[in-house]
Amino acid sequence: MNWGGFGSVDGWLAIVGLAVGTFLIRYSFIGLLAGKRLSPRFERALQLAVPAIFAALVLPLILLQAGEFDLHARWPHIVATIIAGTYAWWRRGMFIPLLVGMVALHLLLLIADK
Amino acid sequence: MSPGAHNADADSGAARIAYLAGIRETFVLIPSYVPFGLVCGVAGVQAGLGEWGAVALAAFAFAGSSQAVLTQFLSSGAPLLVAVLSGLVVNLRMAVYSAAISPRISGASRKERLLWAAFLVDQTFISNEARRDRGEHEAHALAFYLGCATMLWPWWVLMNAIGAFAGAKLPASWQLEFTIPLSFVVMVVPLLKSRGQAAAAIAGGAAGVLLYAMPLKTGLIAACVFGTCVGMLVDAFMTSRQNRIEAAK
Repeated sequence: MNWGGFGSVDGWLAIVGLAVGTFLIRYSFIGLLAGKRLSPRFERALQLAVPAIFAALVLPLILLQAGEFDLHARWPHIVATIIAGTYAWWRRGMFIPLLVGMVALHLLLLIADK
Repeated sequence: MSPGAHNADADSGAARIAYLAGIRETFVLIPSYVPFGLVCGVAGVQAGLGEWGAVALAAFAFAGSSQAVLTQFLSSGAPLLVAVLSGLVVNLRMAVYSAAISPRISGASRKERLLWAAFLVDQTFISNEARRDRGEHEAHALAFYLGCATMLWPWWVLMNAIGAFAGAKLPASWQLEFTIPLSFVVMVVPLLKSRGQAAAAIAGGAAGVLLYAMPLKTGLIAACVFGTCVGMLVDAFMTSRQNRIEAAK
């Protein structure tokens, strides 16, 4: 039975540092700047920042293989994403589009293998 | 029974429904946490945090990519401060989420704000955006949000723990890690309503790919700023065109 270890003091300092710092980032606008009126322009910018940041988060995970653009390796992922995204746009919901995307990916990978 | 008591009952009933809806909403994200959670748990032990340190990191940071960066830096013998700051840079995107949520919870108490902040991650944030877009549970947004957190936070900690204690990994051929980008696409696509937002997504995504090699995912922040600026330009263009059409009438 592995009862687990506790690592070094430095390790725990790192854990506390990341945890506290991350909480402060999360709490920044929600708590520290609570009650401050944001300008309408800034609020509008935020509505655009959300799609921008999620697209920037997602697209590399879809297109890149080990940091390189590799259409040959990634085309099944690209097509599966388009299928799932189109389905989600059309029907909303989460479970079915996700399932459709993953099934499509595996089928396409089977084709790509041949 | 007084009418007031009846209202309170109905209200707590609605809150419970919102909470359960949050659990149901994020239940499908369960598979997307498995591969990355396991990897982060393994990495925590390899970085010398010990099994319990790895679990604590997952529980208190609750932010996969920053955990991965922190443990990677610690394993490579980087100074403590450098490792921590690098992890924090990866989490800067959460300031954008914090700013986006803030105006919508203007009536929230200090305690409620602490809860909103504590569980703010990509998945809980975007689930809340989707809920808001559908106009559901407006009065019980926090209950819905806590439902999402109830599903995701323990599951994330558990996956890290299994990675830490059992060193388990999933076969890469399952492609389960692909459910992460896929779930984000599925959640974000219905939120794209205006041309400005679509332009922001296209520009942000393109910049995200081109700037992917920038250290510590700083490319992500740069891409977010770039995408937002492009979106604002398109917005301004659409508005001025609209004004010209109206003026011509």
